[in-house]
Amino acid sequence: MAHKKNRNVAIIGVGQTKHSSHREDVNQPEMIHEAVSAALKDANISIKDVDCIVHGNMELFEMVHQPDLWHVLGTGAYGKDSIRITTGGTVGTTIACASDNLVASGMYDIVMAIGFQKLQEGHTTGGITNMADPLWFRNLQTGALTGSTAYDVIQEFGEDRAKRAAMMYRIIMDKHACLNPNAHRAFGLDFDQVETLMNTSPQLVGELRLIHMCSQSDGACAVIFACEKKAKEISKKPVWIRDHITIHREETFNIFGYHKNYPVLKTHKFAAEQLFKRNNIKNPLEYFDVFEMYDPAAWWGLDWLRDFFFLKGDEHLRLVENKEIMIGGSMPINPSGGVIASNPIGATALLRVAEAALQVRGDAGAHQIPKEVKHALASGFGGTMWTVLMMLEKELSW
Amino acid sequence: MEYWGVKVEDIFDTMNDRFRPEGAKGVTAKFGYDITGEGKWKIIVSEGLLEVIKTDDISDCVAVMVCDGETFVGINIGKVDAANAFTSGKVKIEGDFGQFGKTAKMFKKYVPKKAAMSTRDYILDMFGTLVSRFQPQNAPQEAVIVYDIGGADGGVWTAYIKDGKCELKEESPEKFTVRLEVQEAKDWVDVMLGKVDAFSLLSAGKAAIVGETQLALKLGEIFAKYQDPMASGTPEQELIVLKKIISVDQKFATGPVMGKFLNALKEKKILGNRCPKCGRIQLPAREVCAECRVRVDEFVEVGPKGQVRYMEYVYYASPDPLTGETRETPYGMANILLDGCTGNDTFAHLIRRDQIDRIKGGKDDVSGTRVRPVWNEHRTGSIFDIKYFEIDE
Repeated sequence: MAHKKNRNVAIIGVGQTKHSSHREDVNQPEMIHEAVSAALKDANISIKDVDCIVHGNMELFEMVHQPDLWHVLGTGAYGKDSIRITTGGTVGTTIACASDNLVASGMYDIVMAIGFQKLQEGHTTGGITNMADPLWFRNLQTGALTGSTAYDVIQEFGEDRAKRAAMMYRIIMDKHACLNPNAHRAFGLDFDQVETLMNTSPQLVGELRLIHMCSQSDGACAVIFACEKKAKEISKKPVWIRDHITIHREETFNIFGYHKNYPVLKTHKFAAEQLFKRNNIKNPLEYFDVFEMYDPAAWWGLDWLRDFFFLKGDEHLRLVENKEIMIGGSMPINPSGGVIASNPIGATALLRVAEAALQVRGDAGAHQIPKEVKHALASGFGGTMWTVLMMLEKELSW
Repeated sequence: MEYWGVKVEDIFDTMNDRFRPEGAKGVTAKFGYDITGEGKWKIIVSEGLLEVIKTDDISDCVAVMVCDGETFVGINIGKVDAANAFTSGKVKIEGDFGQFGKTAKMFKKYVPKKAAMSTRDYILDMFGTLVSRFQPQNAPQEAVIVYDIGGADGGVWTAYIKDGKCELKEESPEKFTVRLEVQEAKDWVDVMLGKVDAFSLLSAGKAAIVGETQLALKLGEIFAKYQDPMASGTPEQELIVLKKIISVDQKFATGPVMGKFLNALKEKKILGNRCPKCGRIQLPAREVCAECRVRVDEFVEVGPKGQVRYMEYVYYASPDPLTGETRETPYGMANILLDGCTGNDTFAHLIRRDQIDRIKGGKDDVSGTRVRPVWNEHRTGSIFDIKYFEIDE
């Protein structure tokens, strides 16, 4: 049984800005407005048709309290119901889930979710460090940077293979980013650089190197959700939301015991298990045609494939080594270039949903995958180890 | 025809953008231009407004400038001296000479779009203007900054900063404060023009910083932004970026449970508390066991020695959120399983900096490096009553 819903909900419009570290040309509401007007144009509706705005970003990253008030200039929320949500890195998917819930409940027919961030206007690592418990852990932690996954993968598969696979993942993401005109960082890396980059890119924490890590971007994304009736009236290609799930865990860092008798609750795996079980999906790797994953670093992207798809042994490494995660492969991951290429954090997880929806519609342009996309998966990640998953469908037939 | 890359039309086509109403105060008149072989134009000035028309009918103008295209363009872009051209007869003014003189104040200067600059042109221009862009108020007392720009268009330049002065030499000294190594000159040009951020180059391994990274990150303040000479024609509006520094005093209540843990640190004791349901010892002590959702009341003294299970070997200079200061790198932050604790309930703290290369993490039943806390003489009930952990030898 999927989520209980009063009625079906579809995505009828998506819009995004170009993601960049050089958006001094616009202020926050102006930047948001670019995404909002693109989404309205995509849906072929006007702001008058939107009943409610759901606004999200990373709390206090730009040190603006209630940015949703200032942003009314760009969001179009004047005189409408407006809700602000901030759940950290997951926020983009959380506002998508909330919008789905708001429409499914019958409260609103059309809801627009807007995620944004102007990371250049604040201090990202400082902001993330402030998420830690101020009573003690804040003094010790180092923002979102951790070398622990690199350590784990190296321990399990050996240094050379692990480092190569992580760099392969990174270069594949860059190849995808080069096809996406909205991507922030598209370097034009090639596979013959694996060896050089894995040894020379500056180290941040352990074997997490600068090249592995996501960018710090400015950008915004808007996605419009409509009830079944309106979606069928308005849109030629509605993308249906089948189900979504959110899994949290305790917000501390008690996951580093490294003892087989004390397994750690991994929220990605747990969320995927729950979601696929209740939707009767036995083999997600076979079922889904594309996956837009919230992959803040190459090591995480590589490692998490195993959690999301219930892979065994080194299957996830082989998917990468055999380039099966490339646009033409059997399970394309992040045809958009993903989070490593563009990371306006509050928009990032919503971009996963937006890009997955574009793939289902066949409207992704140069980074459209070559086969028909019927079933797409999008993920959000944040907090310490929190997960949101959203399933999108081409046909209303599950 | 083009003269110095500029057409006569370019001058007229940009007149509206270059028009200065304040320079046209009190002028209400029509002026004509008869440019031999190019055509005739008329400009109508009235109450601070301007209209530019290409027309053969310039008979109603109060004054008409007559000259050839080369002279006209030359005067407008500063290649031909207007007074000389007039004196030599290359320029004639028919009609009211005094009135025509007023047009001189009405327009901002025409800035020609230059032919494309090569990467080498840019590199030379960037270093040619470096000293003039120097901002002594933002510069350190003394520094030697080497720019090693690779590729055929590159070279090595060194900026010597001392006592508020900057000197640039084309040389590669052995001693320097920081050295920027960029593999391709083209990449550096893109960074300077704001097309690519320097961080991306570093990420991609196309550039490297040797020496004081902190100084390299401040280069944008030590030298004013490079202005692209190609970005011309009509001057754009200046985009203002407001800079603010927020400094906030904060205080956080610890509550009785965390408070007890912190108080115990004053006595050189580390207190955890045991979940009555699952039996794990939480460290630091917390109000409830989040996994079992029950209140946790039983306090247990653990450690103070233990074994490292995992250590983050941190190279990136992350800011200390308490002070905003950048920590010294590399440093080690370890998850330590204190004696008496089990499973994942490790304690996080720093490792003595000169020992981080000797730390090994444990796995399953194999112990990691044994460590012990080093206490501060003066203890206040803070996590830093423990300075760090050191190897227990």
